[in-house]
Amino acid sequence: MTGNRIPSVLAGIGRPVSRKSRFLARLAAQAFGVIREAPRPGNWRRTVRYEFARSLRHSVAGGLSPTLIAAALVGLALVGQALFWLGTAGQANLVGPILVAVLVREIAPLVVGFLLLGRTGSVILAEIGAVRLAGQVEVLEAQGIDPFLILVLPRAVATAVAGFTLGMMFVLAALLSGFAAGSALGQVPKSLAMFLDTVVSAMRPVDFALFPIKMLSIGLLVSLVCSLTALSASQEDELGDLMARGFTGGVLVIMITSVVLSLAA
Amino acid sequence: MTILHIDGAQATPADPLVTLRLTAGQLAMIDTPNPEHATMLADLCTGLLPLANGAVRFLGRDWTGLPHEHVAAMRGRIGRIFGGTGGWIGFIDVETAVLLPRLHHTRRPAGLLRDEAAALARRFGLPGLPLERPNRVSAADLSRAACVRAFLGEPLLLVLESPARGQLDDLLPPLLDVLTAALDRGAAAVWLAPGDRVWRDASIPVTYRYRLREQGLVPMRLRS
Repeated sequence: MTGNRIPSVLAGIGRPVSRKSRFLARLAAQAFGVIREAPRPGNWRRTVRYEFARSLRHSVAGGLSPTLIAAALVGLALVGQALFWLGTAGQANLVGPILVAVLVREIAPLVVGFLLLGRTGSVILAEIGAVRLAGQVEVLEAQGIDPFLILVLPRAVATAVAGFTLGMMFVLAALLSGFAAGSALGQVPKSLAMFLDTVVSAMRPVDFALFPIKMLSIGLLVSLVCSLTALSASQEDELGDLMARGFTGGVLVIMITSVVLSLAA
Repeated sequence: MTILHIDGAQATPADPLVTLRLTAGQLAMIDTPNPEHATMLADLCTGLLPLANGAVRFLGRDWTGLPHEHVAAMRGRIGRIFGGTGGWIGFIDVETAVLLPRLHHTRRPAGLLRDEAAALARRFGLPGLPLERPNRVSAADLSRAACVRAFLGEPLLLVLESPARGQLDDLLPPLLDVLTAALDRGAAAVWLAPGDRVWRDASIPVTYRYRLREQGLVPMRLRS
């Protein structure tokens, strides 16, 4: 009896581990594929360019107002309070390093990543998932159109670019709204230009590389996790299952990417 | 010139063994009572299936072993009407879906392609190409748009999987006109017909008439 149960318990442990490992291997392969294929001009045929433009418009234009609203709230709550309390405590010289460490390195990548996941990732899941579940990936192949080129590559590059763009907008908007809040509380002794200079001066050289790398990586991986979840769907899956799997995977990949890159820096 | 040569090919040992050779201007009309076999045969022609036996050559080149880019470019020379749900991608409007293969494989200006597609659409009884997504277009208009997609850009091989479904009387005359012009131009065509009515239609310029059976393609002749 016990002898029979051990293999089934091991299989129960091994099956999900194997499935997740396969997914991670495919994710790494897709990321490598995007990085290798994106610089090749021959891959950017007009159909791919149309999809890129459509995805970029959707990600950036569609994601701009939620990003600015989230940034304004973070600015009020975080930057405004940092200015107020550090000013009150006579530690105003720490404003720059604290805002860089908390806002630029950690909060901006996470918040923008989650917004990208909700706004762009869910659309990627729905669109590619519907294509996959209806067996239309084969239709593209039958027409000589590589599904990777038309479905995955333009969305991945567009989401990466959107990640960086929205990340920059987020940081700028959060600093502006925080400065406005700090001014209202009477704890901003400097002009806006001096305040921004304080923040930029507090950035180490590595931060100028870390921020774009984080934002581009998070955008790229959000898109790839969603594309891959959709393309890995079986006929038994429903769109709801894919959305749940893609969302969970997306949250994990955003957090892991942010932590790993922060530690690496 | 041999356009398509299916040489004793089968996707799995359980599938029918298919042998078919088509040169420029030839049309094979194949009765395929089983829709899965029709799709299998269409996929075989376009090199989508790995083969258990035999070989499939398009324009003299074996689909297997060719670089991925060459395979894609060769498929760009094939016009196909898809069976099943018609091969429409949900998030792409019908006009873009019709133009998609030509936009992808050629550098012809989009305006010219659009004009050419609109002219073909009018021949098939549409006022123009539908701009809506497929789920907002009637089945009849999707069948017409599927014909436009297959014939657009002068393909060398036409794989017609149950064309004119459900609206044979309306679609057959323009379909035959456009098909005859394509054959005269040097294309070859495989027409997969899941029913007797089209298969027996003597007005269609058929070169070979087959029935797809478990053992493979069985040549047939119409009784006069």
